Amino acid sequence: MSDKIFDVDHVTLRFGGVVSLNDVTLHQERGEILAVIGPNGAGKTSLFNSLTGVYQPQEGTITFMGKDAKPMNVIGKKPHRVSAAGVARTFQASRMFSALTAFENIKIGAESHRGIGVVGAMLRGPATRRDEKLSDERTVELLDFVGLRAKANVISSSLSYGDRRRLEIARGLATGPQVLLLDEPAAGTNPSEKLELTTLIRKVRDEMGVSILLIEHDMKLVMSLAERLYVLNFGSVIAQGTPEEIRANDQVIEAYLGSTATETGDRS
Amino acid sequence: MGAFGHYLTGHFATLRLEFWALFVGGLANGVLYGMVAVGYTLVYGVLRLINFAHSEIFMSGGFAGYFVMKSMVGNAVPSGIASVGLIVLGIIVGGVVGAVMATLVERVAYRPLRRRRAPALAYLISAIGASYFLYNMAGKEFGRVPISMPQPYINHPIFHIFGAPVQMYYVIILLAGAVMFLTLDRIVAKTKLGRSIRAVAQDAETASLMGVNIDRTIVLTFIVGGALGGAAGFLFGMGTGVSNTMGFVPALKAFTAAVLGGIGNLRGAMIGGFLLGVVESLSVVFVQAAYMDVVAFGILVAVLLFRPTGILGERLGRSA
Amino acid sequence: MKRVFANAHVKRLFSAIAAMAVLELMTGPPGSALSPTAGFTGSFGEASSFFGLFRTQRWVVFLFIALVMFAIWTTWLTWGEQVRTATSKAMSVPRAATHTRPVRWGMVLVLLVVALLLPRLITDPFWQAAMVEQIAVYVLLALGLNVVVGFAGLLDLGFVAFYAIGAYTTAWVTGALPTAAPFGIHFNNFYAIPIAIALAMGAGIILGAPTLRLRGDYLAIVTLGFGEIITIFANNLYGITGGSQGTNTIPHFSLHVGPIKYLWGLTPVPYYYLTIVFVILFLIGFKLLEHSRVGRAWTAIREDEVAAESVGINPLKYKVMAFAIGASTAGFAGVVTASQSNTIFPSSFTLQFSINILVLVIFGGMGSITGVVLGAIVIQTGSMFLLHSPPAGYQPQDLYIYLGALLVVMMIFRPAGLVPSRRRHREIGLAEKGEGHMNEVLTGDTP
Repeated sequence: MSDKIFDVDHVTLRFGGVVSLNDVTLHQERGEILAVIGPNGAGKTSLFNSLTGVYQPQEGTITFMGKDAKPMNVIGKKPHRVSAAGVARTFQASRMFSALTAFENIKIGAESHRGIGVVGAMLRGPATRRDEKLSDERTVELLDFVGLRAKANVISSSLSYGDRRRLEIARGLATGPQVLLLDEPAAGTNPSEKLELTTLIRKVRDEMGVSILLIEHDMKLVMSLAERLYVLNFGSVIAQGTPEEIRANDQVIEAYLGSTATETGDRS
Repeated sequence: MGAFGHYLTGHFATLRLEFWALFVGGLANGVLYGMVAVGYTLVYGVLRLINFAHSEIFMSGGFAGYFVMKSMVGNAVPSGIASVGLIVLGIIVGGVVGAVMATLVERVAYRPLRRRRAPALAYLISAIGASYFLYNMAGKEFGRVPISMPQPYINHPIFHIFGAPVQMYYVIILLAGAVMFLTLDRIVAKTKLGRSIRAVAQDAETASLMGVNIDRTIVLTFIVGGALGGAAGFLFGMGTGVSNTMGFVPALKAFTAAVLGGIGNLRGAMIGGFLLGVVESLSVVFVQAAYMDVVAFGILVAVLLFRPTGILGERLGRSA
Repeated sequence: MKRVFANAHVKRLFSAIAAMAVLELMTGPPGSALSPTAGFTGSFGEASSFFGLFRTQRWVVFLFIALVMFAIWTTWLTWGEQVRTATSKAMSVPRAATHTRPVRWGMVLVLLVVALLLPRLITDPFWQAAMVEQIAVYVLLALGLNVVVGFAGLLDLGFVAFYAIGAYTTAWVTGALPTAAPFGIHFNNFYAIPIAIALAMGAGIILGAPTLRLRGDYLAIVTLGFGEIITIFANNLYGITGGSQGTNTIPHFSLHVGPIKYLWGLTPVPYYYLTIVFVILFLIGFKLLEHSRVGRAWTAIREDEVAAESVGINPLKYKVMAFAIGASTAGFAGVVTASQSNTIFPSSFTLQFSINILVLVIFGGMGSITGVVLGAIVIQTGSMFLLHSPPAGYQPQDLYIYLGALLVVMMIFRPAGLVPSRRRHREIGLAEKGEGHMNEVLTGDTP
């Protein structure tokens, strides 16, 4: 009996007449590093947005199974509810709270699932102070974890690309997720940052036990990191398997042949 | 229930009696709302921004028309033919002044912000400031009490439909509105200006790469919208007088009309205007006059909540 | 011609002259419908003293000012950068000093003492009344609107509605309205406070919950309409609100606790102290709120709503909350005003009022509590000064011309306000550089 964390079942997403995801079925095992690849416009980001409640597919079900929790159908849920259930994500062009420091960015993630408590906040009672302290500690831990401790008080928009990526990962992790969705984490980073990122992603899985779902254009990174891959083309899954299997798959080669250019020139 | 049923039957009886009179009046008002709504929609289309100062552009047209009428007519009663000439003149002057005001507002309150790529909240605040400034400035210069316009030959019913008299005033508004709407529709659909407006509305960056002069296009949309708004201000003022507060309520309703038709959509703005004018006019049977504005506001909130894209949908580029 | 205007110097000169011409009109004599040109001709042609040197016409004076302005402007463009770096270098030591804790607390203490001693320093009855009615209460209102506009980034143009709700609730609870007081008991004004806060908050939630999903500019229009509608109802529901006459029988605040009996209202000073206590309580509450989880969540939503949602923040909930907090503050201020003046009538609850409060927030600095308090004090004192000793040709209504112009000028030259909030300042800067997602948040154009 496998332990699925995400089970995507016959999902179709349309925008007007355009089919963005066409009858997509895939799943992720708990603790797995899974990658979704495919040429530009294949529907990868649409898939992410559907998994996180940003888009609402018209057909199919997306089941998320949090630990010790009832399975939840993501479709129809608001993004913040999906986040609360244990799904964290990063964005293609990283979206920081750019006027806030690295520390504050992570702290917002760390405290978002505690209740709101306006009155508590205005009175700043002992319970509120305890909460703040916990969030601060968690934030410092995560800053250490991603190696940004020294830049804790730097405004996030003045961080380098690589640092922003790591900060975004830390912010996602701060919400206490079971699975982390990374949308092209290596885009815009240099080779050495890429290497660090690979190490960090693996560390997230190994040390925190968070499953990883990854979209990436950089084949080298994907092949070295992912344990299993799905290939999307024109909104449909055209192949799946281990990196070796995918490398040998004719259909995949064909899908990519026409778009070799997109493979080397990153970003979609 | 019985009492309420009785209430409704009574009111429907009144409605049946006065339907056509109310309908014509509502349609004329609707044309005016539509003319103002076009200004909101055009500016929204290219700037993604509600021009809060549009109510004062409307007002400026009203005042301009008033001064022309006052200097030309005075206390005399002009003949029918002369009246038509005067009204056409009033429309033109109102339109020109409206266009000038709109250009000034764009120049002073919006362009500096656009240059700095200011956040949307800044535009809104600047627009509100400009609107408020003009509103109070007019109050200072022209007094704060409503002034009635010298009335040319307009309160005369010229024909009847289904027993309801149709006044010259309404005929003028309907005719003027029809001419302006048709011209505008053709301009946006066929001319180079129209093409550049649509291009900027769809994607300003690409349009600029294709050689469309964005600044010029934006100014032109303000001019076109301002001209219609100013002309509507004159026509409106002819019926109800001019004052520095004259723009507030009609503009709020015109904005409702623009949203109703789908903001950013030209034909939508016109249709929304007709619809709102007629519904509002007919609702007078059911609602006390004092609460008339509440009805329009209720429509606005309902549309925003249940169909924020309006009847015809948004986007100037797509469906104009 | 076109080439001449393309010259930057000519452009600046022209702008300076145009700005001064507008200022001339703003400060000039009024016209009327009967003599619509009187205002214009008077503004430019009226005799005036040239800085006390000789008599001339107004346009000469203003043209001179325009030329001086042009000269300063041009100089500033060449030397401004050096001046700015020099002053910031010179200021860095004192600025750093103000950031240390003891200095800050010392400043707070000094301000507190000044605030408490103020009624002893200012004994003019006009100013004593103004300090309560026009300054302290407005500080409270500005603090409330700042939560909505400054913290949450939502433009509320119907703030007056909640203020009116607070005022009418006071009248209702104390039995001053035609409609019967709750349970037929005429309560003390202090009981009106929680009821007014609850009702205003309720109204805020009812209005906000459906409309706060909308884009920012729609929200502005809807709130504007709501403000008008409250006035329409207050005007027309004679049996409940007293119609356009309103009521003038609202009692003052009074205290009967055991042996302590106290009645506010004989002079403005006791009200001043009462209001100051309220202001300080709200000030502390909002300051703590700003630096709490809630304040950070507001910042997150303001900057990037999509990202905020992705880390588990429910934007609607936080927006409604900001709206409700702002509304309840306005409701509370309504209680204070209604009790202090004993009188309410619909025509005092106008759009003008909402915009006045907005100006205080914008001028002081959106999101900056210090700025907003300072802004409210400066603007309200200024407007009271104009009312108390008006310069020649000034009518009370002219104030709103200045306020409108001030909004535009602030947005063009100093959008973050007099004392910018550090976060806001950065956000505006980033948006202008094309970074961040401010524009998308405010227009709701999510990609």
